[in-house]
Amino acid sequence: MIYLQLLANGIVLGGLYAAIAAGFSLVWGVLNVINILHGSFIVLGSYIAFFLYAYAGLHPFLAIVPAGIVLFALGWALQTVFINRVVTAPVLITLTLTFGLDLVLNNAMLVAFTADYRKVNLATPLPALELGSVFIPGDKLAAMVLAVALTYGLYRLLGDSNVGRAIVAVRMDREAASLMGVEVKQINAITFGIGALMAGAAGALLSIIYPISPINSTLFLGKAFVVCVLGGLGSVPGALVGGLALGLLESLGGYALGPEHSVTLSFSLLLLLLFVRPSGLLGRRGYE
Amino acid sequence: MLRKPVTRRTFSAMLGSFGATVGSVGQLSAQGADVVKIGAALPLTGPLSPEGIKQQRGYSLWADAVNAKGGIKAGGKTYKVEIIFVDYASNTPRAVQSTERLITQDNVSFILAPFGSGATKAASSVNEKYEIPMIAPSASATEIFDQKYKYIFSTLTPNNSVTEPLAEAISQNKSIKRLAILARNDLFPLAIAQEMEKSAKARGMEVVMFERYAIGVLDHSAAITQMRAANPDWVYGTGYINDLVAMRKQMADLGVKPKAISMIAGPAYKEFAQAAGPLAENVSSSAWWHPTVRYNGKDVFGSTEAFNAAWTAKYKDDADYIEASSAVCGAIIQLGIEAANSVDPKKVRDAIAKLDVETFYGKVRFGDSGQINSLEPPVFQLQGGKPVVISPKVIKQGEMKF
Amino acid sequence: MTRNVITTWIAFAVGIALCAVLPIFGGNYTLRLATTVAMYAVLAQSWNFIGGLAAYPSFATAAFFGLGAYISAVLQTKGVPLYWTWVLGGLGAALFAAFLGGAILHLRGHYFAIASLVVAEVLRELINTTPDLTGGGMGLNVPALKMSVGEQAQFFYHAMLALFAISLATAIFVHRGKSGFALQCIKQNEDAASILGVNAYAYKSLAFVLSAVFVGAAGGMYATWTRYIDPTDVFDVLLSVKPLVMVLLGGVGTLLGPVVGAFILLALEEVVWRNFLTMHAAALGVIIVALVLYLPNGLMSLVREIARRRGRA
Repeated sequence: MIYLQLLANGIVLGGLYAAIAAGFSLVWGVLNVINILHGSFIVLGSYIAFFLYAYAGLHPFLAIVPAGIVLFALGWALQTVFINRVVTAPVLITLTLTFGLDLVLNNAMLVAFTADYRKVNLATPLPALELGSVFIPGDKLAAMVLAVALTYGLYRLLGDSNVGRAIVAVRMDREAASLMGVEVKQINAITFGIGALMAGAAGALLSIIYPISPINSTLFLGKAFVVCVLGGLGSVPGALVGGLALGLLESLGGYALGPEHSVTLSFSLLLLLLFVRPSGLLGRRGYE
Repeated sequence: MLRKPVTRRTFSAMLGSFGATVGSVGQLSAQGADVVKIGAALPLTGPLSPEGIKQQRGYSLWADAVNAKGGIKAGGKTYKVEIIFVDYASNTPRAVQSTERLITQDNVSFILAPFGSGATKAASSVNEKYEIPMIAPSASATEIFDQKYKYIFSTLTPNNSVTEPLAEAISQNKSIKRLAILARNDLFPLAIAQEMEKSAKARGMEVVMFERYAIGVLDHSAAITQMRAANPDWVYGTGYINDLVAMRKQMADLGVKPKAISMIAGPAYKEFAQAAGPLAENVSSSAWWHPTVRYNGKDVFGSTEAFNAAWTAKYKDDADYIEASSAVCGAIIQLGIEAANSVDPKKVRDAIAKLDVETFYGKVRFGDSGQINSLEPPVFQLQGGKPVVISPKVIKQGEMKF
Repeated sequence: MTRNVITTWIAFAVGIALCAVLPIFGGNYTLRLATTVAMYAVLAQSWNFIGGLAAYPSFATAAFFGLGAYISAVLQTKGVPLYWTWVLGGLGAALFAAFLGGAILHLRGHYFAIASLVVAEVLRELINTTPDLTGGGMGLNVPALKMSVGEQAQFFYHAMLALFAISLATAIFVHRGKSGFALQCIKQNEDAASILGVNAYAYKSLAFVLSAVFVGAAGGMYATWTRYIDPTDVFDVLLSVKPLVMVLLGGVGTLLGPVVGAFILLALEEVVWRNFLTMHAAALGVIIVALVLYLPNGLMSLVREIARRRGRA
């Protein structure tokens, strides 16, 4: 049954898309910043996983930790040094700033790693799961499960920890949070760092699935955009719903209309959704 | 408008002071000596940079080889070669602009073309206007040559010369009857897929799927699920390394196991075998050149072996067809200059059009349209991580495995 | 104030004179750069209607440009007279903007930005899937003009300059007129403006259409100029980003800001391009970051500041 296979493909893809978008959504929702750097963050995470596997034999699933730490530090520093200075400025200013920073980061990666495509080829890949006529690739499934777990972790962090509650407070009302004694700038930096961490972790997971190159950063960024709008920005469950919706749409729609339309399809849906329901499939619920 | 005076001055200042200093290779010591300037606008950054850098390596190797031998002799003088590189960042309009800049500002006499059929086609209207010859190493689409331009030459034969021998080699296995094609919706990958459809049908095969995928697609699982349902004996995928590595991996993921898999233009590059790992095994392809071909040439390298040796000495790896094709573009300019006994672009253009000469790359002879018509593209298959030549017979190294 | 007006007029006169003599002294490449500046200025001036005056962060410029380029190029291959193809390219883009505006102008901020951004993606893929009419991914050849190299360089320079002049004249008219005032109100507080009786929707739509019409025509000219277009080139996202950078460089919402920005961006691109073979994107990035952090109101603000200080001294 071909539709079961397409459904399975879509769900696996959707989980990965959720991880790609979660950090982006967080930064957008809390800081009101469209982070153009996000795609490059993911690619950098993939490179960290690639080199750790090539030179230290560390499994990319474990590389989530070092990739997350490095990216958190990078994101924290960028927010502290640059973005905090204009974080309350209009959309255009912050967007242009991250665009400029992305030019630098992406170009630096291009020079350091070249544009040649690399991929992690695991010495012992997980076998595919065969359920009747439905194939589910083992590595992809495992990466997807981890991706969903990470996203859930972020959700719990925001709901249960002090830092998380401060982030949510800043998201809801910056000034009130400041009056309540929240160090807004510090929270901004931590939020941006967590966004980058999520990107780095997603990158490490994706390193076993997709070829790695600085060139791919815009592809990831495009997915993050669509997922965010589908799910409603700033909402972690929204990222999951948006990711699944996009994954299923690309899978089923790509089959029904032909693969050359899969990109058009997702963007057309985005436009349609913005037209009828700009707050996303789940509405604007935030983290609560 | 207020800024105009200042900016105009700025432009002239820039043009004067920076024009001479841009990324030139080859001869710093050539100052004072006679120099023939050649321009090359390449995608050194952006999505096409892997290919752009290959072309740069090919062009540079030729320039180094010429200058190491003293230079090009013509009209009683000896000319050193200087290549002026410009990066057009994979942005075709900028390739066109850069070509005009190279011709009018840097005063180059010859152009080594940008990457791919699209950018070459766009840039070819500029060098045509200025009557400056352009030699293209990576443009095979006949649409370029239908324009009836006089100043464009290409070192790749038409696409069907690459699909025909591959279809022939695969059709030796009589149990292969059903072909599925998955093509990138882009100038070259789409054109060659359409040629393969014809080549396969001419051999009595049935094309059970022909799908195009959009540029910038990461995940092919929908198309590959469809492919599995079509149950092909043979899969032909077209695109660039990124697409093909992802496609191959996802075919394995979804349990698509046809008798034969062919892809273009990835397997000719060593990066494909590295990135695809064990999955690259038994993937077949065809290309315009391969390091195992053997020719004795009248060009600066002398023979394919000598070219391979020079390449390995400089870059520590083996050349692929784009890299060799780029090097031969330089060699063709050199042969043209020597035949014309002049560095005048128009005279050299006429001499190139008349060339009929052996090179390390193969026989070089151009049709009226400017496209080379003297190559016999090899078919090969990745076996044990290395390409093994299947045809033509003279350089055959092994049998196609199914 | 009067002195200021006189200076402005003198500056205009000098600018026009310089534009006029450029073809006599400049070579073909200088003319190509000048044509590019004029094209950039058209894009920036157009973006300023919606992005600067109404403060709606539009990324639809590439969509209008590509649409205009394709309308014009297809008509040229069908033998429609050249000037008409440009006009129709512009009108086609404007019509499209009117419809699109109806769909997305109720969005604000980021949502509007994203919606306008993906329009170009959708159009590009649509072109890709209509190979019979547009050549699809194979691109489209545009018939060549029967002119010499030098004549062509001059022709396109004058054409683009004329288009820029029209867009500037329109901008002056709008900035000084009632609609400019209405758009300023919308920028400051759209809800309040609506309550006070400003038909916000009509003015926003007007600004959006104005941001498309000249861009569409510029796309048409571009297609004739390069003689070959393909979907990736004319729907390039950079075409949407550059106008914004130019306006930021020059000064948001000002009349001359876009022009100044167009000059500076092209000058930067040229200098950076020539000196950093593979690091130019990073160099441009550093410049953008520096500008955003230290000169968020554009260079025109600096000029004004200096003038003010001088006036005081």
